Amino acid sequence: MAPTPIQIPLSQLPRGRRATVECSALDALTSEHRCLLAAMGLGESCQVRVCRPGTPCIVQIDQTRLGLPKGIADLIMVTPIELTKS
Amino acid sequence: MTLRIALLGNPNTGKSTLFNRLCGLRSKTANHPGSTVEHQVGRCTTAAGEVCDLIDLPGIYSLMLEMPESKLCVDCLEGRIGDGRPDGALIVLDANNLLRNLQFAASALRRGLPSVIAINMVDLAKRRGLIIDEAAATAWLGVPVIAVSARTGAGVERLLEAIANASRAPSQATPILSLPSSEPGSAASSAWAAEVFARIAAHPPLPLDHEMSVHDRLDAAFTHPVLGIVVFALAMSLLFASIYWLAAFPMDAVDSIFGWVGAVVTSLFPSGILRDLAVDGVVGGVAATVVFLPQIVLLFFLLALLEDSGYLARAAFAVDRVMRRFGLPGQAFMPLLSSHACALPGIMATRLIPDARERLTTILVAPFMSCSARVPVYALLTGLLFAGRPIAAGIAFTACYVLGAVAALATAAILRNSILRGPSAPMMLELPDYRLPSLRTAAFVAIDRGFVFLKSAGSVILAIAVVMWWLSAYPKVAPSSESSTLRARAEMIETTAPAQATALIANADRLDERTQQAGSFAGQLGAICQPAFAPIGLDQQLTVAVFTSFLAREVFTTTVFVLAGAGHSADGEELGTLDTVRRATRTDGQALFNIPTAASLLVFFVLAMQCLPTLVVVRRETGSWRWPLAQFVYMSGVAYGAAWLTYRWMS
Repeated sequence: MAPTPIQIPLSQLPRGRRATVECSALDALTSEHRCLLAAMGLGESCQVRVCRPGTPCIVQIDQTRLGLPKGIADLIMVTPIELTKS
Repeated sequence: MTLRIALLGNPNTGKSTLFNRLCGLRSKTANHPGSTVEHQVGRCTTAAGEVCDLIDLPGIYSLMLEMPESKLCVDCLEGRIGDGRPDGALIVLDANNLLRNLQFAASALRRGLPSVIAINMVDLAKRRGLIIDEAAATAWLGVPVIAVSARTGAGVERLLEAIANASRAPSQATPILSLPSSEPGSAASSAWAAEVFARIAAHPPLPLDHEMSVHDRLDAAFTHPVLGIVVFALAMSLLFASIYWLAAFPMDAVDSIFGWVGAVVTSLFPSGILRDLAVDGVVGGVAATVVFLPQIVLLFFLLALLEDSGYLARAAFAVDRVMRRFGLPGQAFMPLLSSHACALPGIMATRLIPDARERLTTILVAPFMSCSARVPVYALLTGLLFAGRPIAAGIAFTACYVLGAVAALATAAILRNSILRGPSAPMMLELPDYRLPSLRTAAFVAIDRGFVFLKSAGSVILAIAVVMWWLSAYPKVAPSSESSTLRARAEMIETTAPAQATALIANADRLDERTQQAGSFAGQLGAICQPAFAPIGLDQQLTVAVFTSFLAREVFTTTVFVLAGAGHSADGEELGTLDTVRRATRTDGQALFNIPTAASLLVFFVLAMQCLPTLVVVRRETGSWRWPLAQFVYMSGVAYGAAWLTYRWMS
């Protein structure tokens, strides 16, 4: 049985680290914020890289950079790529 | 028949640059009825001579979002605004951000309008090693795809041809890969975009690196809690110093031009009501407003440069922490700071604020910021309060600015905890790439904002200016016996002592102006209202001065000057505050304004809404007269209360 990947809030991901946003990762957000973030590029299954942790939390998705308040980054659960055990 | 084409795209795709490239200055800003969201309509002609009206819709991330901008786009595409459904859609994508932009394109294509896709900024993408295959893109998306660079103009002619052809004879082709049925950001939509991207682009997306790039370092510096604020303060100081310096020359030119126009009009009409109306009402009223045009155009030009460079989005995060304490978002800082030059561009710049409540709060508090029109009044009154003590006058001058800013932030906090209570919208912003800003785009933005402002000046402001002029110029009052005596004396000594005669005539003119002011409708209103202003130390004439400066606060200094010139002639009937005014207005230069009155007036002018153009612009931006009226009543109330406290404390 494959071990469950470790999920942490996006706000806890250190600078330069990458992570994937799983299907249920945005459930804690309001639907309004979830839809906006998804349309801005931060949707399910995308890969993010932290450019600057803290407030604002700056993340890169493909070639898009988004600035997020820490309160929002706290609610987004991500699976760090390096920490995923196979 | 003119073709109507809707221009759609994500924010930061260079959509407006493309619009400006296609239409140049042949465009006008239109408001969506009932809201403050604007769109521009411009006209362009294809090489074959076909005329197209392009509708530049606001940049949006999705057509399905519950946001005014998204609703405006849907309304336009469904024919609920303008003259029915557009004949076609031009969908603009950023070549450097195709994975996300393709998802938006798919949702726009599903609307079923004949469409063409413009992949913009291909020159920038090419430098990064990304080559777009137009033919493959056309086949995979089922609509014509043209690679363009709006900045250089490459591909723009072909694009225009393509959109005209597509609107006349819509493509019957179907995309190789069916469009996803879900909205941008969903797993299905992302997978579709990744598949299409792999087929149309000759280079895979650049890998995400683990190193800190220059981009990362700049972001970290510009959004840093301390360094970010320091950089922002420096950038803003530079911006406003430039505005003050650069705007001074065109403002002088505007003054001279209107002075010349006034002289020409004076020579064209015989003296009488028509000439007074034309010169003092129309030319004077428009001049008092148009003089702010250079500041507005310059501010928007420089702001557009900053925004285009990518810095402004970072700066908003740097100041967000401070502004949140007062219930305002980081984007409110720029409009509030701009209001120190003039509240009009400041209020117009609140469009950067996405949340409606936060935007309204910013609009309502912006006029508390000390604008440049208050400077002459501050200079006069601080000079009176601290005659011969320049350091104390300087401190008082600075205190006026601080008082205005404190009043604005305190009012913002009150509003956000009362009638405009609501959750603070978290600031989630896309941080566009850093790039060299386009002077051409900035010039178009500045010219457009200038025209929007002139349109207001040319309609409502002009009408109200004429009414205000009429109230202060009529009914005509006969010259006083005192001025007649002075004129008679001047006539007698005209040949023997011409300089003295000129001085006497000047004095007689000032006396006549004073008599006219007191006898006019505004003057009579001042007399009636004076008891209400007595608690803050104003006599009848100062009340008139406050009333006449309702149109524009700098008029106060002119009125006081008129009063000063007439002050040497005591009529012995009124004492108290009137006596104070008389002593203050003696021609021997002694500054003898009563200290409590000067202080109370200073506080009044810091806080009062004495600016008609601002009220008109607030009406325009909020869509109703309710808010500017509430703002006027509130600011006047606060100004009166604070002036009363000051007067009581100083007396």
